[in-house]
Amino acid sequence: MEFLAFLLRRIMWSLLVLFGLSVVIFTIARVVPGDPARMALGPSASADQVAALQEALGLNAPMWEQYIRFLSGLTQGDLGRSLLTEQSVTVDIAKTFPATLELVLCTILLAFVTGVPLGVAAARWKDRWPDNLVRAIAIGSAVVPSFFLALLLQILAGYVLQILPTTGRLPAGMRFDADITGLLVIDSVLHGRFDVLGEALRHLLLPATALAAATMGQIARITRASMIDVSRQDYIEAARAFGIPDRVRLFKYSLRPAFVPPLTILGLEFASLIGGAFVVELIFSWPGMAAYGVRAITQKDLNAIMGVVMVSGVFFVMVNLVIDLLVGIVDPRVRIRGTRA
Amino acid sequence: MTRRFLTMTSAVALTAGLLAGAAAAQTVVTMNTVQIFGTIDPAKISDYTDYMAAVNLYDGLVTVDGAGNLVPQLAESWVVSDDAKEVVFTLRADATFSDGSPVQASDVIYSFERLLRIAQGPSNLFAGVVEPGAVVAVDDLTVRFTLSKTFAPFMATIPALMILNAEVVEANLGEDDGQTYLSANVAGSGAYLLDSWDRGSRMIVKRNPDYYGGFGENPIDEVRWIVTNDEATVRALAASGELTMTSQFQSPETYDALVAMGRFRMESQATATGFYLKLNSRVAPTDDIHVRRAIALATDYDTIREVIFPGEPMSTPLPAAFAQFFADDVPAPVYDLAAAQAEIDQSAYAGQPIPVTLGYVAGATFEEEISLLMQANLEQLGFVVTQQPDPWNRITEIAADVATTPNVNQIFFGPTYPSPDSMFFTQYHSDAAGTWASMEWLQDPEVDAMIDAARATGDVAEQAEIYKDLQRNLVEQMVSVPLLAQTVQHAMDNCLTGFVAVPMQSFDYDFTRYSWTC
Amino acid sequence: MSEPVVPQEALSNAWQNWYRFSRNPTAVIGALIVILCVSMAILAPYITPYPEHVGSFVDFRNRHQPPSALHWFGTDNVGRDILTRVIYGLRVSLILAVVVLGIAIPVGTILGLMAGYYGGWTEIIIMRITDIALAIPPLVMALAVAAVLSPSLINSMLAISALWWTWHTRLIYSITRQLRSQEFVEAAETLGASKAHILFREILPNCVSAIAVKTSLDAGFVILIGAALSFLGLGIQPPTPDLGTMVADGASYLPDFWWESMLPGSAILFLALGFNLLGDGLRDLFDVEDVR
Repeated sequence: MEFLAFLLRRIMWSLLVLFGLSVVIFTIARVVPGDPARMALGPSASADQVAALQEALGLNAPMWEQYIRFLSGLTQGDLGRSLLTEQSVTVDIAKTFPATLELVLCTILLAFVTGVPLGVAAARWKDRWPDNLVRAIAIGSAVVPSFFLALLLQILAGYVLQILPTTGRLPAGMRFDADITGLLVIDSVLHGRFDVLGEALRHLLLPATALAAATMGQIARITRASMIDVSRQDYIEAARAFGIPDRVRLFKYSLRPAFVPPLTILGLEFASLIGGAFVVELIFSWPGMAAYGVRAITQKDLNAIMGVVMVSGVFFVMVNLVIDLLVGIVDPRVRIRGTRA
Repeated sequence: MTRRFLTMTSAVALTAGLLAGAAAAQTVVTMNTVQIFGTIDPAKISDYTDYMAAVNLYDGLVTVDGAGNLVPQLAESWVVSDDAKEVVFTLRADATFSDGSPVQASDVIYSFERLLRIAQGPSNLFAGVVEPGAVVAVDDLTVRFTLSKTFAPFMATIPALMILNAEVVEANLGEDDGQTYLSANVAGSGAYLLDSWDRGSRMIVKRNPDYYGGFGENPIDEVRWIVTNDEATVRALAASGELTMTSQFQSPETYDALVAMGRFRMESQATATGFYLKLNSRVAPTDDIHVRRAIALATDYDTIREVIFPGEPMSTPLPAAFAQFFADDVPAPVYDLAAAQAEIDQSAYAGQPIPVTLGYVAGATFEEEISLLMQANLEQLGFVVTQQPDPWNRITEIAADVATTPNVNQIFFGPTYPSPDSMFFTQYHSDAAGTWASMEWLQDPEVDAMIDAARATGDVAEQAEIYKDLQRNLVEQMVSVPLLAQTVQHAMDNCLTGFVAVPMQSFDYDFTRYSWTC
Repeated sequence: MSEPVVPQEALSNAWQNWYRFSRNPTAVIGALIVILCVSMAILAPYITPYPEHVGSFVDFRNRHQPPSALHWFGTDNVGRDILTRVIYGLRVSLILAVVVLGIAIPVGTILGLMAGYYGGWTEIIIMRITDIALAIPPLVMALAVAAVLSPSLINSMLAISALWWTWHTRLIYSITRQLRSQEFVEAAETLGASKAHILFREILPNCVSAIAVKTSLDAGFVILIGAALSFLGLGIQPPTPDLGTMVADGASYLPDFWWESMLPGSAILFLALGFNLLGDGLRDLFDVEDVR
């Protein structure tokens, strides 16, 4: 029962946040100088055509009425038309989102798979050289600009060593439609195309690494801190007193409760992941939503920009909601307290 | 005995293998393009990228060769009346659309009328020249165009009229005259068929083996366009073997790197496309003729042509490629800062800091470099420079209003049809004001009269005289600083041949003209 | 996550703090880096070899030169000295950080104090708005704002500040909430001190160390976000040098002319590292947990 209340509260909260986000986006979109109707029709349009479109788009209505229109369009999934592709922004984003999703999921996996063991090692050998090394890696990965790391990886792996591809999701000649989930890694297995799987993974490696670096550092750090916290607990001392071997103590008793803070961190890190994706997708020519957003920004394709921002925001809010729920399931204290903090 | 037998069988096996391999091998050309394809609807195509796809997917009555001559395509012959107001085209009897149905006069009429109805793309070439209803079918294979007035360049504009399969379009008319259907499908008779199109990133077209026009030796079976203007991506694609041909807008460093790989050669050809500094003649300080001349004198032409962007020297707004009409008595502009200072001293703005805006396409590195070079020189003369990089669609927007057009604009302009009229009308006639091609806002009745006069006469010698006078007039007013005539450059795989620059849009990217020699 | 521990060390114990600080090697390195960069930025016109290369200078015969005795960091695609432009670029980054934090800290602090002390509707409104703003990924919001305005340094600063104050609000709010029920505050209230006095003379001084830590850490991240914005083309316009823009411009020439993007990129890394180490050191010093 209390879990249900918790669930409802979190969902209401998320809706409120999304509402606020839509207000912010709408305000920004209306602040822009320039006439959306003229921009959509091009310079050769006559004054009549422009006026007609202005009427049709409701640009002459009062602000609040325009906002209602905007909001109802949003809920129906209408994000307007892109200036560049002349298609619905929703369609454009639907086509590019799976690539970004796949990259982000791969990044999270990579960050966890590398970050947690590093954190465990640092906690295990606290204050000795592994600990210092991990600390250095964590700091280093936090301060390196994502675009710098991406470029560096591109040079090293792509040109100097020439072992990994540096552009796109698949080689230009390879044709494959990810028609089931949109994720190459899963769809290729479902279709039995293991050559596609291999190429997809090879192409994912560099961008995911560039994106995962900062998060990996944070996860390592947090894991270390919470492992140390947990190891100070009485029941761990008791386990040691009882002669339970180190390894069992480490994995069975320490690691599980220590998992909660890294999971929590993920929610916060997700913001920087989405931000980093813009730069990484650009550098690796990754055909994802963030690259679409960057092109929209440089070409001042307003509807596309707002669409991408909205979708990023929604994505972020939903991920945090899911994480909140997961943490709520695992840690009852959070349910009672009402927030993760 | 055994040895000979084995050698023979292995030789046979090898040959069979080779033959089988050769039969199965597809020739694929992968090319990068720096802009996305806006549309494939022949009534709406407008820039060089759009035409690049259109010339492969659709055919017109005629096409254009490297010298600017008209070459029969769907029409096997044509007759122009003595007063140049009537043209009768005879279609090929064997011309078919990609679905097998024959190309008929009714399709030509339908395509033309639809073009005028939608009033976009190449329609401005025919508006006011051929009225709706003035195109009639004499019989199934003969079609007559009747002009409403003498318009000398008419024949040169005909290649831009691409012929649609009327039956198919009418079956998919929808609410918008088939625009939705044709924005994603092809109803034409081109040599290539649309295989896939991912708007933001790539387009793939495949050879139509039943193409009525046939192919040469070793034709290109598949063309893939990848949209990217990122130099690093182009290099990566070239290094991995995926790129066959670059766009014409890569940086010199990228071209060098590709040639160094060994697989590529530089294909450089002169074109009739001019690269200008268009000076807004209605806004201070470029409204003063002395200031405009000073800017022309403050331009370091040699550095631009040799280091930043290659090209041939240009002395008037008309590239020398239009040999018959070119005024060769006009001296080329020079770089002389002292003379520039003298011009400034004669202007209305002498003695004060002169604010000026330099506009260019954001993201085009060579344009930024040219703008910085201009800034360095202009500041020595007392100009206060503001750089104004803008994305291309924003440039087309600010070009629509004289108040928002920057003082100096870097613009490429090539003939939209192989006639000098294309160079002058679109850039300098008052009726063509308000586009990215006419950022000078010239609006000079004397110039208008000369352009109209040249259009109204069919006598080539007379046209040449008028155009030469026109060039001298424009150079005198110095509204466009002619930087260079573009030398189009591609890094091309050594096995690919067939590129010949054509003075009309992207007709040189018609891949039926190419072949694979390896 | 537990509530932040209110630091007991007051800044007046300067010597003690200095001693403890100087025992932490990474913190000292961080401080030195920051001092070095700030001094280079301030003294830029005097210490750079080619200060005129920052303006409208071009020298096409000298473009793409590798690092040499004449040009320690080489030259770029227009022939300008990269070392000079990197040092001036540090200026731009630091100004960005100063302005953004200069807006974010006062705004965030005041809002946090008010929300934490007054409670009631003030608290609810301020904190709900803060939470909504915090729910938006900062780079995405900064991109949206900078994208719709024309690209310039000021607009980038605006874009980042638009969200940055929220982090400070939340921090100060938590501290204020805790302190509100402490004895010295109650004492001041009973004595009839004005609200302003309580907020600014009693509570605020206890927040200073947390603010110092957060400011230092934030400076690094603001600089990184600013660099990302200008890498995407939304920063200060040419020819004024900017580190992110230099990396973007130089990226087209990789890997042959690697110095044009790698060296400015390393400068960004260096500066952010300095602030990060400094912030870490201050955090250890003041023993403030949960300041990210």
